[in-house]
Amino acid sequence: MGKGGLHLETKESIIKEPIIKLAIAEKFLNLARANSIWPMTFGLACCAIEMMAGAMARFDIARFGAEVFRPSPRQADLMIVNGTVTKKMAPTVVTLYEQMPSPKWVIVMGNCAISGGPFAFKGQYNIIEGIDKLIPVDVYVPGCPPRPEGLLEGLMKLEEKITGTRRFPVPEQRW
Amino acid sequence: MDTLIEFSYVVVFAIVAIVFTIAPVVISRLIAPRTIGEKTFTTYECGIKPFGSAWTRHTVVYYIYALIFIAFDVDILYLFPAALGYTRQGNTYEFYTLLVFVLLLVLAIIYAWGKGVFTWKRKNLL
Repeated sequence: MGKGGLHLETKESIIKEPIIKLAIAEKFLNLARANSIWPMTFGLACCAIEMMAGAMARFDIARFGAEVFRPSPRQADLMIVNGTVTKKMAPTVVTLYEQMPSPKWVIVMGNCAISGGPFAFKGQYNIIEGIDKLIPVDVYVPGCPPRPEGLLEGLMKLEEKITGTRRFPVPEQRW
Repeated sequence: MDTLIEFSYVVVFAIVAIVFTIAPVVISRLIAPRTIGEKTFTTYECGIKPFGSAWTRHTVVYYIYALIFIAFDVDILYLFPAALGYTRQGNTYEFYTLLVFVLLLVLAIIYAWGKGVFTWKRKNLL
């Protein structure tokens, strides 16, 4: 790897701060961003099935304002990396991440994308052991696969990261 | 004066329309942060590296097909004035004139048919 024109790690050369940056305006903007996150339609493996279940009627990610799954990276601000990232898929993931407009966030869903999961063993040759080696990650949702509630909790964590305050109460444990 | 007032509505509407289209772009430029990576401006949004050129060669069959399309198009072009000129008065002379005219137009298609244009066969013309 590395040679042969493979683009394996994000090299974001230019990072421009906004021209107008006021604390109060930023606060409002972040509130708006956090309450209407547009994830990218993007599934790599079986964790994507849980993400789809999360978007469907029972778990209903729309309750948290993140139901607009965009088919184009240029319209999305959240990338949910769900599933095993193979070395063949890695340049694609990086390209898609770079094509997303700023501000953008990444939720990593499932053990495979976090650390390689069950595929991390001695001598394995084709799995990226952790997508955070390639792109910056905001929230990790562990599980194999995580339940849709896990993804929803990850989304709330992300909202907490964006705005600084948690929007929904922590559910009471009943077991 | 009345006309001028009526036109002023159009001017106001045009100005509002222009402001409404430009303002979001300008606001987004001012308040949005920007990150430009190595591949931010690649053409395709599928993540795959583009390869090859869009200037590929097509078989010459397409070209004949396009010509036949033009033949049909011109037929329609001539049929419009013929249809407008047709008076529907039960005039037999007019009816036969139109029939002959349409048959002449049909000849072009029959000619193409006879030449075997409608059979989609790849000809070794490349």
